[in-house]
Amino acid sequence: MPDEPKPAAAASAATSVEFKVKKEISRKEILLCMARVPESGRLYAGASDGGVYDLDVSPEKPEPRRCEGQGHTGYVMGAALTAGHVVTAAYDKHLVWWDRATGKQTRRAPAHDKWLRGVEASPDGSMVASVGDDMVCRLWKAGSGELIRELRGHDVETPHHYPSMLFCCAFSPDGAWLATADKVGKIVIWESSTGKPAKTLQSPGMYTWDPKQRRHSIGGIRSIQFSPDGKLLAVGGIGFIGNVDHLDGKARVEIFDWQKGTSLKVVESDKLKGLVESIRFHPRGDWMLCAGGDHGGWLLFIDPATQKITREDKVPMHVHELALSEKADHLYAVGHGRAVWWQATA
Amino acid sequence: MNTKGNYCGSADHSVQRRAFLATLGMGTAALAGSSAAPHLLAADGLTKELKKQGRRVILLWLAGGASQLETWDPKPGRPTGGPFAAIPTDVPGVHISELMPLMARRMKHSCLIRSLNTRDAGHGSGAQLMMRGRRDEAALKYPDLGAILARELGRADSAVPDYVNFYPSTEGRGQEMLSPAFLGGRFGAINLYDQSSPPNLARPEQISQGDHAEREQLREWFSHRFEKGRDLPTLRSHAAAYARVTGLMSSQKLFDNSGESKATHELYGPSQFGQQVLMARRMVESGVPFVRVGRAWWDSHGQNFETHGELVPELDRVLAALIDDLKQRGLLESTLIVTVGEFGRTPAINASLGRDHFASAWSASLHGCGVKAGAVWGKTDEDGNKVVEGEVGAGELFATILSAAGIDPRKEYHVGSRPVPLVNPGIKPITQVLA
Repeated sequence: MPDEPKPAAAASAATSVEFKVKKEISRKEILLCMARVPESGRLYAGASDGGVYDLDVSPEKPEPRRCEGQGHTGYVMGAALTAGHVVTAAYDKHLVWWDRATGKQTRRAPAHDKWLRGVEASPDGSMVASVGDDMVCRLWKAGSGELIRELRGHDVETPHHYPSMLFCCAFSPDGAWLATADKVGKIVIWESSTGKPAKTLQSPGMYTWDPKQRRHSIGGIRSIQFSPDGKLLAVGGIGFIGNVDHLDGKARVEIFDWQKGTSLKVVESDKLKGLVESIRFHPRGDWMLCAGGDHGGWLLFIDPATQKITREDKVPMHVHELALSEKADHLYAVGHGRAVWWQATA
Repeated sequence: MNTKGNYCGSADHSVQRRAFLATLGMGTAALAGSSAAPHLLAADGLTKELKKQGRRVILLWLAGGASQLETWDPKPGRPTGGPFAAIPTDVPGVHISELMPLMARRMKHSCLIRSLNTRDAGHGSGAQLMMRGRRDEAALKYPDLGAILARELGRADSAVPDYVNFYPSTEGRGQEMLSPAFLGGRFGAINLYDQSSPPNLARPEQISQGDHAEREQLREWFSHRFEKGRDLPTLRSHAAAYARVTGLMSSQKLFDNSGESKATHELYGPSQFGQQVLMARRMVESGVPFVRVGRAWWDSHGQNFETHGELVPELDRVLAALIDDLKQRGLLESTLIVTVGEFGRTPAINASLGRDHFASAWSASLHGCGVKAGAVWGKTDEDGNKVVEGEVGAGELFATILSAAGIDPRKEYHVGSRPVPLVNPGIKPITQVLA
């Protein structure tokens, strides 16, 4: 429970765990997203060249294989696993279905009127949700690609009359809820089965508008995740930025008891600057792990019980997406020109 | 014909053809300051020379350095290309960024320069270079573009300002060190920073219109009496300065968009940049020869695509609105619009998904009078790292702007006995893009 402190042993779990780099794989592309095949080190990574790469990090010399087909013509921003497929979303406004057995494209469908920012699969694999800068979340049948419904609850423009952006979405572990989050810090939690909005939250500290010096904005909620028990909702981004030309703000996470509609804690790092691009909870909820960066990259551990930072580690690249193994003993990340595999040592 | 207070463009101030022709008899110089002159010049097909005198320039200054890859020179599918697509335009074979769908339908009024290599990627020094077309010498400071255009296109007895510079954001303000240099303060910019109109423009409330006019008449009477028998430049300058202040006070409406229609406001959009560009249109319509509207700040070292996702659609809307508005008013053939900043941005994308300073291969755009519609000059390589055809520098762009505005860049001023050409010796305009 968010408002009931966990036992000390559990609370200290994050400080006792240590991940050591097991393998680094350099790439000329920017790896912007990934989906991990369960119980494996096999990743489907979406890249800045429009490619979707089947990357098994386990062999001594991994050889990424580019999935075949028309695919994407813009940055690939999201990847989600469904039964037998991986579904990817890109700036080209399309969703693409790839057969995991053959590595070939099986469906390519126009999905949004503007650039796609992400795609997530429901826990049972029956649906995928896509978000794009048309500020719509669309739910699709994972198998047929049929549109189920549209979720509209985010403003198209920022309060300063510029185009807003709908960066991310996440299903609750039981699949009953779907959360979406945008540039100005608005979060909407939807009932997945009906598409009705259940709760609206605000995290305005994620958005910096400079009204005078540079007259543009930066920030937005870039990552969102439910806790394993579904009670907490964590969102990540960047805190206030003095110079909006750089990612020169504190890494920022806000944790909500979303059903009560209350913010439990804003966590900002005094050491790490940049965007929190990805959030993953330990399977038992012992700790949550955030990753991102500015020109460099980092991992940031938070104890959900105390909502305090327990560990901050620099990593070899700005991280765009993380994946944790089922036992939280392996960690995978993709980012700027690199994929990295870590193994827990404690 | 009222040539002083006619600035709002409303029907109340419309000019009758007979009155206009009568004014012609008073000398063509009187035309340049008339708000209605551009309409009539266009409608009546007067001589090329007359049209040249009516030419105006609006510079949309993209301060901080806009990315050529997210505007005029996209490289889709290349490692440097970024996430956005390129879209076709109304000029066959010419593609621009998908962030500019409105301008894609107006390239037939546009000319792109895709081959700038200005060799200076510093904000201040780059801005100074682009605004002067060359570097100052230790012993000689050169006038900026606006000062030259004010000198060449303005009218000696103009009741409107010759050179207005909007720069509301604070970042980068003043770094280009705008200066009329040896041309003198008469051709310097009226800088509008925190306000969209000059301060103290309005007549103080405690002074009635009648009192104000009588005071001016009295001042003129004393002034003329004092000048009799004294042919001194200082006296002439003093009188001219008073005349210009009076003119500026009567220009108050230039700085007030409230009389524009709702549709016009909507066309330009709600942003400050849009409203200041609308004001710039009102000014050129009223005879102001040069207006610079600074839109800062494009310096996207981090999150380049989000920054350009905000700023380029704004530029697209405002620039398209300006072209349409000028065209609809018959002013596009006498008004040159330029978009440029101090440099472009690196093709390489850094780890913050930003682009850094880059002056080796970047772009500017020209629209409206004096340039070949639909022309594209120069070419960069497939990744945008270097110019491979038609390389030009700041001087050539400067000379091209002057030429498009009807000014011979070979013209010389004299500083003492030293002849000073408008551009450095050997610098030529890009004649291939001139109409």
